[in-house]
Amino acid sequence: MASFRFWPFAQTALKNLFSKPATTGYPFEPAHYPERMRGHVEIAVEDCISCGLCARNCPPRALTVDRAAGTWSINRFDCVQCGNCVNVCPKKCLKLAPQYTRPGAQKQTDTYTRPVPPGQEGPKAGARPANDQEKCVYCTLCAKKCPQGAIAVDRAAKTWALDGKKCIGCGLCAASCPKKCLTMK
Amino acid sequence: MEALNEIVPVKMEQFLPAVIQFKMDGCRLVQICASRLPGQYELSYSFAKACDMWTLRLTVGEDEPVSSITQVYPCAFLQENEVAELFGVKIENISQDYKHKLYRIDREAPFKEKG
Amino acid sequence: MAKRSIVPFGPQHPVLPEPVHLDLVLEDETVVEAVPSIGFVHRGLEKLVEMKDFKEYVYIAERVCGICSFGHGMGYCQSVERIMNAEVPARANYLRTIWMEMSRVHSHLLWLGLLADAMGFESLFMESWRLREKILDMFDLTTGGRVIFSVNCIGGVLKDMDSAMLSAIRSTVDSMEKELRPIADSFLRDFTVGSRLRGMGVLKPEQAVQLGAVGPMLRASGVSYDARALGYAAYPELEVEPVTADEGDSYARCQVRIGELYQSFSLIRQAIEKIPQGPISAPVKGNPSGEHFMRIEQPRGEAIYYVKANGTKFLDRFRLRTPTTSNIPPMLELLKGCQLADVPLLILTIDPCISCTER
Repeated sequence: MASFRFWPFAQTALKNLFSKPATTGYPFEPAHYPERMRGHVEIAVEDCISCGLCARNCPPRALTVDRAAGTWSINRFDCVQCGNCVNVCPKKCLKLAPQYTRPGAQKQTDTYTRPVPPGQEGPKAGARPANDQEKCVYCTLCAKKCPQGAIAVDRAAKTWALDGKKCIGCGLCAASCPKKCLTMK
Repeated sequence: MEALNEIVPVKMEQFLPAVIQFKMDGCRLVQICASRLPGQYELSYSFAKACDMWTLRLTVGEDEPVSSITQVYPCAFLQENEVAELFGVKIENISQDYKHKLYRIDREAPFKEKG
Repeated sequence: MAKRSIVPFGPQHPVLPEPVHLDLVLEDETVVEAVPSIGFVHRGLEKLVEMKDFKEYVYIAERVCGICSFGHGMGYCQSVERIMNAEVPARANYLRTIWMEMSRVHSHLLWLGLLADAMGFESLFMESWRLREKILDMFDLTTGGRVIFSVNCIGGVLKDMDSAMLSAIRSTVDSMEKELRPIADSFLRDFTVGSRLRGMGVLKPEQAVQLGAVGPMLRASGVSYDARALGYAAYPELEVEPVTADEGDSYARCQVRIGELYQSFSLIRQAIEKIPQGPISAPVKGNPSGEHFMRIEQPRGEAIYYVKANGTKFLDRFRLRTPTTSNIPPMLELLKGCQLADVPLLILTIDPCISCTER
């Protein structure tokens, strides 16, 4: 059994009187954020392919993706900074950056629109990959790259099948095809 | 060494004797859990002694009454009330029955139906 | 016979941060019986599992509670991994163990602070929380969040720690261990603190087992049971010896938690020393089918995670039995016979978390 003493805290209390405060002077001094801090989601919208995976995997449903308009919107006040969108993004165009959303009186939505480079239209909304069976070598790369697992390729039987319900038209398969036999139609 | 973690199915008439047996062996009540089956409920009562755990699995019909185990394990009252309130399982004779007033919720038995 | 009266206690009480309401039946100043009522913060998070993808639910499981956040995420992931027979890489297991022990340090320091606050010892409260801030900074550095970490995923963890981070944690733990000594001294050897804790709310070992107490509450009554001995994450490869005390009073519960702080420091050091290189997550294919009861040791005690899956991406049932659910019945037993003025302190010694309990 430990023996009892009077005022074992006195020493700490005295030391605290004559030492610097443990807190910082925020907001007069800037706060220091570590590199990994999950503050808010940022998007490099020019790399976005509007696949919509982030929106479907967002637990609080704070994201909306409009494929036709090429926009990506986030309701900053619904976002819980879990980082799931960053993890599922096939193009890695999302990232979590330090600095929290500023407090506000109303919920606000930020919308980012993808710029369309002149003369180079991206795949149209609702486009699905089509395979040119003559050129295809059944390498299965497209099936491996597909974020939804919508493509089934059998190398032995030489078949290529698309599950139209699962496909989201992201175009990753066409971009990764070494023979360029896939086209988005 | 992997500790025991078993699920033991029991019939209604063997259920209370089995609980009393656990009590006599000096086991502690770990948890009570309900889950839905079509037209039925599946109740799981877990007991543990040191690191080993046994779960009694009881399947009851939707309107079939289940006897409370609070006479044997008085500490079960909170979890039994929760099961009765969220799933609508008819648990009878809970020593401290909250009569569906444990949680402040609008809907009766919200866990009973899917969605 | 003295006149009986009923005093309502909570859900808002100056020294109790938890929304629990008790009807205290008093005889003069002595409590004869306490009737609890909870239900102020029920959110139905268990029900949400039917509407969310099982991989997405990890983020919701973490948000059940702000203090045991990491443990809830880990417990849920481990039970799903068990059902799917997924092999978690060794490094991921070690990282989970380090984060889990850091959570324990931060939870116990928070509790020590609240205990000091409940006794009116404000400067000791601030001292404990100042120390806790250091571990929160380490969480911020390694996971990007101070309270909610979002690093667990089915099959492993999402973020790795490099050697600079590991050595930062190590040196923080070393300095914290030194700084904890005067604080622990104030809790365990101060005469005034001792007079508020000693002999208060004695729970005998038989009572503790019969009423289903878990965690530090059970161990303070001399029952040596720690769910970490069941061997999940990297615990089988580390030395875990349950910290126990014999008296079963508030002082013993404080002693056990302080003992566990030192134990956690040692476990973090062991894990940093032994951590292997390698991948941090394994790919998980398909959907789970089956059921499993997973037990893990949270800072507040043993928690049960039950997952029942039906082969689709939506689970049938997720049940979380938190340590506080189990600790409320023994708490009611403690309150019988105590003075009204000791009620907040006794409730606090079980380390209640009502938001966990109601989910």
